[in-house]
Amino acid sequence: MKIEIQDLRFIYPTGLEALKGISLTIEAGEQVAIVGQNGAGKTTLVRHFNGLLQPASGSVLIGDWDVKKYSVAKLASRVGYVFQNPDEQLFSRDVLTEVTFGPKNLKYAKEKIDELVKRALSLTELTDKTETNPYDLSPTWRKMVALASIIAMDTPIVIFDEPTTGQDAVNVARIANVIAELRKEGKTVITITHDIDFCAENFERVIALSKGQVLLDGPAREILGQEEILAQTYVDPPQLTRLGKRLGLKETVRNQEEFLNSL
Amino acid sequence: MHERLSFHIKRDSVIHKLNPLTKLTLILALILISFTSPWYWTPHVVLLLAVIPLSGLGRVFPEFFKAATRLILPAAGFLFLMQAFFQPIGEEVIFKFYFLDITQESLMFAFRNAMRVFVMISAFTLFLLTTHPSELMSDLTRRGLPGQFAYVIISTLQILPQMQAKAQTIIAAQRSRGLDTESTFLKRAGSVLPLVGPLVFGSLVEVEERAIAIEARGFTSKNSKTSLHEIPDPSFEKTIRWALLMLVILSIAANLWLS
Repeated sequence: MKIEIQDLRFIYPTGLEALKGISLTIEAGEQVAIVGQNGAGKTTLVRHFNGLLQPASGSVLIGDWDVKKYSVAKLASRVGYVFQNPDEQLFSRDVLTEVTFGPKNLKYAKEKIDELVKRALSLTELTDKTETNPYDLSPTWRKMVALASIIAMDTPIVIFDEPTTGQDAVNVARIANVIAELRKEGKTVITITHDIDFCAENFERVIALSKGQVLLDGPAREILGQEEILAQTYVDPPQLTRLGKRLGLKETVRNQEEFLNSL
Repeated sequence: MHERLSFHIKRDSVIHKLNPLTKLTLILALILISFTSPWYWTPHVVLLLAVIPLSGLGRVFPEFFKAATRLILPAAGFLFLMQAFFQPIGEEVIFKFYFLDITQESLMFAFRNAMRVFVMISAFTLFLLTTHPSELMSDLTRRGLPGQFAYVIISTLQILPQMQAKAQTIIAAQRSRGLDTESTFLKRAGSVLPLVGPLVFGSLVEVEERAIAIEARGFTSKNSKTSLHEIPDPSFEKTIRWALLMLVILSIAANLWLS
């Protein structure tokens, strides 16, 4: 499902202008990472996609829906949003009920719900933990429950707000795997991240925001090569990319494989 | 996101610069005098000639006025009506409403009591507007108030805005999962659980974390603590406090003398 943003502006009640005219188009099935310093407007931007925030001016279209005309609960059928802190989202007594909550709200048929929940649980490797109370799980697994509870809603667009913060390497790999699976299913994945390695390894398109405006937007390889411009929003390209540059490699490299190949 | 930890409004004024204890003495003196002075019009005069000018001096008059009209006036007004109707004093009925009689005496009595309450709440509002709670507490602990006591007060003042902000995020997270919080009453009633669970659990976790954090900084240590933040207490303020105390004693004495 296509997302079209036209000259989006947003001002917080404190008077802070968080978004100063953003125009973007995200095609169906794209994998997009949004990077930028704290306060650049990343979260403010994606909160417009499911109606949690309303534009001060400009417009956001999710497919053929103008977000101004639909409630958050309605938009939840098109946009899934995984919050940064799973503890602000989990409330059920066991993992199964938690993951079923979203699809049930969307009023899918019983068989479809069962199937979606089963798939979400296996994607997040939670199948053997369905009976556990989410709060008895470690924080990393709670994160996976939060992921599963949104994936089970089967929305064409999924947003992750800093999914890898505070996660160990094993869980980061699990999250990357979930994103790869969603890509195969043709879903649009939008991820806010400060983890530039995670960004380089998993996303085709990178949008860098700075002070409420789009600083850079394009294929990851191109964007990550622009060290000086990225510095304006306090983003460092991955170490290997920088090393490749110092070594004078012709192409911008993003990961170990590309680095070794171009040596 | 909008977050405010207290009523305090940071402005540069004479009142803001006063030592918190002086301010506390001042408002307590105004309140005690309003309640004990034998002269009928005392609370009215205190309000007009002390509390309101002080709010101007403290450069918080707009905020003070807003609180006074929206919050204090309705409360005092309600008290006035209750006392005017139900105080069985006086003979001369000037107004009758079914079985309720209003006499001149009950009216006067109610008016004064309402004014006293008005002075009490408005003086405290003025105090909260011009004093940062942590400044008050660090001043009082320096003067010997137990730290535990200060902690209880400070955390109580902070918990509401914090829980409010947390509740906002939780509501946003559940609405993003298709929870309908806006339509029919039944649906909304059913949506309480997903909101309350994380809120209560999260708040408990926060309380524990805060306790650990302050203990890690030697909260229960018996040694005397130093403060990074110096709160000035010039000697003329001490004089003011004694003068205020004398006024209160005079007012109470006059009350006892005349009764």
